[in-house]
Amino acid sequence: MPASIDAILDALPYLLQGSLVTIGVVLGAMGLGLLIGVSLALGQVYGPRPLGVPIGLYIWFFRGVPLLVLLFLFYFGLFSLMGLNLSAFAVAAIVLGLISAAYQSQIFRGAILSLPEGQLKAARALGMSDTRAIVSVVLPQALRLSIPGWSNEYSIVLKDSAVAYALGVAEVMARAHFVATRTYEHLPLYVAAGMIFLILTFLGTRGLRMLEDKVRIPGYSR
Amino acid sequence: MGELLFLQQDVFPALMQGLWVTIQLIIPSSILGLAAGVAVGAVRVYGHPLAIRAGNVYVTIFRGFPLVVQLFIWYFGLPHIGIYLTPFTASVLGFTLCSSAYHSEYVRGAFMSAKRGQMMAAEALGFSRLQLIFSVMLPQAFRRALPGCGNELIYLIKYSSLAYMITCIELTGQGKIIASETFRFTEIFMIVGVIYLFLTTVSSWGIRRLEARLRLPGFEHHRM
Amino acid sequence: MSEDVPVLRVEGLSKRYGEKPVLEDASFSIREGELKILIGPSGGGKSTLLQCINYLVKPDAGRIWLDGDEVVPARKRELYAYRQKVGMIFQDFNLFDHLTALANVQIALSKVRKLPRDEARKRAVMELERVGLKDHIAKYPAQLSGGQKQRVSIARALAMDPKVMLLDEPTSALDPELITEVLAVIRDLGLEGMTMLMATHQIGFALDLAHEMIFMEDGRIVETGPPRKILSTADCDRTREFCGKLTDLYGEAR
Ligand SMILES: Nc1ncnc2c1ncn2[C@@H]1O[C@H](COP(=O)(O)OP(=O)(O)OP(=O)(O)O)[C@@H](O)[C@H]1O
Ligand SMILES: [Mg+2]
Repeated sequence: MPASIDAILDALPYLLQGSLVTIGVVLGAMGLGLLIGVSLALGQVYGPRPLGVPIGLYIWFFRGVPLLVLLFLFYFGLFSLMGLNLSAFAVAAIVLGLISAAYQSQIFRGAILSLPEGQLKAARALGMSDTRAIVSVVLPQALRLSIPGWSNEYSIVLKDSAVAYALGVAEVMARAHFVATRTYEHLPLYVAAGMIFLILTFLGTRGLRMLEDKVRIPGYSR
Repeated sequence: MGELLFLQQDVFPALMQGLWVTIQLIIPSSILGLAAGVAVGAVRVYGHPLAIRAGNVYVTIFRGFPLVVQLFIWYFGLPHIGIYLTPFTASVLGFTLCSSAYHSEYVRGAFMSAKRGQMMAAEALGFSRLQLIFSVMLPQAFRRALPGCGNELIYLIKYSSLAYMITCIELTGQGKIIASETFRFTEIFMIVGVIYLFLTTVSSWGIRRLEARLRLPGFEHHRM
Repeated sequence: MSEDVPVLRVEGLSKRYGEKPVLEDASFSIREGELKILIGPSGGGKSTLLQCINYLVKPDAGRIWLDGDEVVPARKRELYAYRQKVGMIFQDFNLFDHLTALANVQIALSKVRKLPRDEARKRAVMELERVGLKDHIAKYPAQLSGGQKQRVSIARALAMDPKVMLLDEPTSALDPELITEVLAVIRDLGLEGMTMLMATHQIGFALDLAHEMIFMEDGRIVETGPPRKILSTADCDRTREFCGKLTDLYGEAR
């Protein structure tokens, strides 16, 4: 299939540019997910009891509805209803982020709950306010513990980001399809797109593994 | 009043039709996916070293490629080598292969966590390899794999919406069509979302019930 | 402050979990420089009492005065300020696992007392030297022995300049050969005049240094008195029985 290889090589720079778009969507989504996810987890663990209800509903909703439906709902529906005119790129990042937040909150919640109760007690005994204790004692430990779960979540969000093609975001998948319909080299181009995702997964999880090593608390084994 | 009529006459029939396709997608995909997943998982634990290698490559690819990419490969890519699938068949194929890769991970983990002594005890009783896999290891592994595999089923329900992207018009597709005709995106996709929410909620409830019924002392699962 | 105002005064402290009272109407006071020892069977409510004193466990009833001023736990700022002045030592150390020994001592100085970095650091180093850990300041909790961890936690409490220290069985999670090093630090503190309330089963230590012993059982303070009296000729049968067992176990005082 020499023609196929040529097709891939020709399209490669174009696909790789798409991977920058993919990375952008994923970074935006993971960042937003981190922010909301940590807040949800803190609300669930330390917040007043009634707060648990809306947080539970949020998590239930965003874990139970398919990404594609949410993309359509927000892109064509809710955001324009709110008078917001957001780009497909932004909507993809936001929706992926909202979903990821639901999953990430469970990662952080597990990490927070796995910390010994004495950590918070000792912080309070020193006169720290609850906020201070959470910021200085709970989160630094819980975030470290969350890295493996976060790495897993990264690889899911990365792959899900290919669905943003449905909104016309010019990420890897969209570009592969665009070239394929022109050159009729569908199979090799989709495989190439898949390989790019595989490599991005590998690089990202590798990077997070390195981060995990770097912030590891001395004396603790993995 | 007109609103209600519109919902009754146009929206619901179309969505129900889509839901029916969705269900037709999910049921074979989940059964075939689980069966293939158990087979691949078992091979990756008890198989010939070469088969283990092959199984690992299979799983890396089918877990590593986004599902959309896989669906495009089956639907738009296979014609490249002269194989033409309908959107429906391509979807079922795509869902089955992808979810089997995930299932196999849980199954493999479950087999690996079974204690060595169990196998030795069965061998000592004169079980053949296949017999011991089926009558000793599988019942144990099944319980350990259930939470993960159950989760995978929920994912499958949600990911079935991607069939729309290769023109298999199921629930999401029907929603998209009506919404585009009527410009009622928010309402329609809310309704579609609620239907999926219903499916995923009922399924996860059912799985939890099943877990509870199959619970054996010592096989408790620690949910994240 | 006048001579007859106790550093810490506790009145009618009570706590129940569900139906079960675990602390009933506990009252006592500690004067400056006193060391009081809390003894009693497991589950008797010693930890609960100590944790109620600085409101880590919220008591259902009772009042507390520090240096004659009543503590109002509902006022957050006051509560935080009060806790700074009451040092707490836990049975299982509760060092912050993600921080070095130095940072463990420094963190409350910087974040709670808002000392400038250099000053906080200097003070932290000083406190660690005081407990004999000068060479270990850069180690993380997981790299320290139990005895060293407990000494870091003492340094951490001392750095806040506490008026009184509460110690909850500080040596009971330690191997026998590590107990001495921690007791030595506490002994020095006592000799320097630190006011302390300490739950412990270390009878020898108590006899040597304690000014008073408080015997607790089923959430009540059953008897209070000089150590020698409590241990050998207590008024209450139950106290005598328990102390007899303790003495059998840990040996008579020298
Ligand atoms: N969070 C809680 N919920 C319910 N009961 C509790 C709780 N904490 C303590 N208790 C109960 O309160 C009683 C007193 O416990 P406490 O820890 O104060 O005893 P202690 O004298 O410190 O015992 P030990 O010598 O074992 O440390 C015990 O019966 C214990 O089971
Ligand atoms: Mg105790």
